[in-house]
Formats: sequence, C-alpha cells, structure tokens
Amino acid sequence: MATAVAEQTLRVGIDAVAVARLQRLVEGDEERQERLFTARELEYCRGKRRRYEHLAARFAAKEAVLKAFGTGISQRMRWTEVEVLNERSGRPRIVLAGAVAEFAERHGLDQLDVSLTHTEDLAFAHAVALWRPEAACASI
Amino acid sequence: MADVDAAVKEAVVEALALDDDEVTPESTLMDDLGAESIDLLDILFRIEKSTGVKIEASDLGDYMQGGIPDEEFSDENEVITEKGAQHLKTVMPQTDPGELAGSLKAEEVITLFTVENLAQMVKSRGDGGG
Repeated sequence: MATAVAEQTLRVGIDAVAVARLQRLVEGDEERQERLFTARELEYCRGKRRRYEHLAARFAAKEAVLKAFGTGISQRMRWTEVEVLNERSGRPRIVLAGAVAEFAERHGLDQLDVSLTHTEDLAFAHAVALWRPEAACASI
Repeated sequence: MADVDAAVKEAVVEALALDDDEVTPESTLMDDLGAESIDLLDILFRIEKSTGVKIEASDLGDYMQGGIPDEEFSDENEVITEKGAQHLKTVMPQTDPGELAGSLKAEEVITLFTVENLAQMVKSRGDGGG
C-alpha cells in the first residue's frame, strides 16, 4: 500500500532595483535610511565605494524575500524586519524579525537563501524559501 | 494642509513617471498603475514632503485592517472574513463586502487600494485620525 508523503513547498522571489533611484530616495537622509535598513546593514555599506549599489541590493533582497513569502509589502511588515547580513566569506544571509519572523514561524519556514548581484545601474536579488509541508499548505 | 488629492496624484504621477491623465482617483496603485514596492516608497516619501504626513509602507496594512485582530480579520487560511470585508468597505468604499468575504486573501487587499483610498488615508492622518 502506497504511503502519501507530504512534500515541502518551494517558493522563489526576485527583485531588481535601480541604484540611482534608491540613492535619490535616501541619500543624505539618515531617518529614511533607518526606516529601510538596519544599523548593521548601514554599517556594512558605510564607506564602501559603491555604497548605493550595496544598499540597492539589500533593498532588492528584502522585496525578493517577501515575494518568496507570497506577501510582498501587503502585510504589516517593516523593511528592517528582513535584514541582510554577510558571512565572512561575503555570502549573504537573511535575519528575520518582528512581523516577518512571526509570519515565517506561523507558516513553517524551513530554509531561506538569497543571492545578490549589482552593477553600476541595477541591483538584483533572488530569494528561495522552503516551507514545511504541514504549514506551507493553503495559506501561501 | 495642502490640497491632498492633488498632492497624492502628483506624487503618483511623478514616482511612476506617468502622464497626468493616466492616473484617476479610481486607479489601483499596484494592478492598474503597476507600482512595485520601491514605487510605493517613492510615492509615500513624496507625499510626506508635500503634505507633511508621514506614512510607512507597513502603515497601509494597519490602516486597511483597522485594528481588527488578525484572527477576526481573516480566517485560518488568511482569507478575509465578513467582519474584515465590512471594515474594508469603510476605508475602501469601492469594495463589495459580499464579493470579498470568503474569497480575498489578506495579502491581496493592497491590490485593491486606489489613489483615492491613499488620499483618504493621508487626510485621516493629517487630521490626527490615524
């Protein structure tokens, strides 16, 4: 007799951000920067020659993660609740907080990975989320 | 406060690089006008600058939900309840509670949010109502 095996659900999200546009929105405005980025993200990008490329990539990552969650910006989530940190190798990893972390917990997030790339003009991020079968279910 | 309707329309037109006649009060920001997250951010920053009313992207969800607890606003599958749909009618008068209840997912509510709805939200914040 065959046994049904529940499968995990894989979701992806991708986003692109124009570097100049992100720069125009936040350059010289610390309050705006702090609404979009965590202190650790701002610290990582501070002093980098291509600072706004890195910030744009991080903004793209936040949106890519929320797309992989199936929510976009639709719920009561703050940009700072999806944080992009870097391993010593430079590999990015995501830290969730607040309403985004609660959503992930409630819906059974198992694994989350992200990849970033940027040029002088555009920053891209691609997120992959793996959800546990018992929770990935109907609501995502 | 400055003319909020005009300020909101101007913010939408400029942030999305649209022609003036492409934006009507009934236009939905995401579905009709194609706004992405960074566009919404741009719109909200422009409105803040012209009207002085500060709105975070996350405030939109709070405004649409109106303080109704999550478990009452949507069911276990995150589909809008009758109570949720009735509330949406108050902040998004163009919606039909009979159509939304039991069919619309909570995360899809924002796709119905119009230029006029945003202007009303700005006015309510400007009046100290939010």
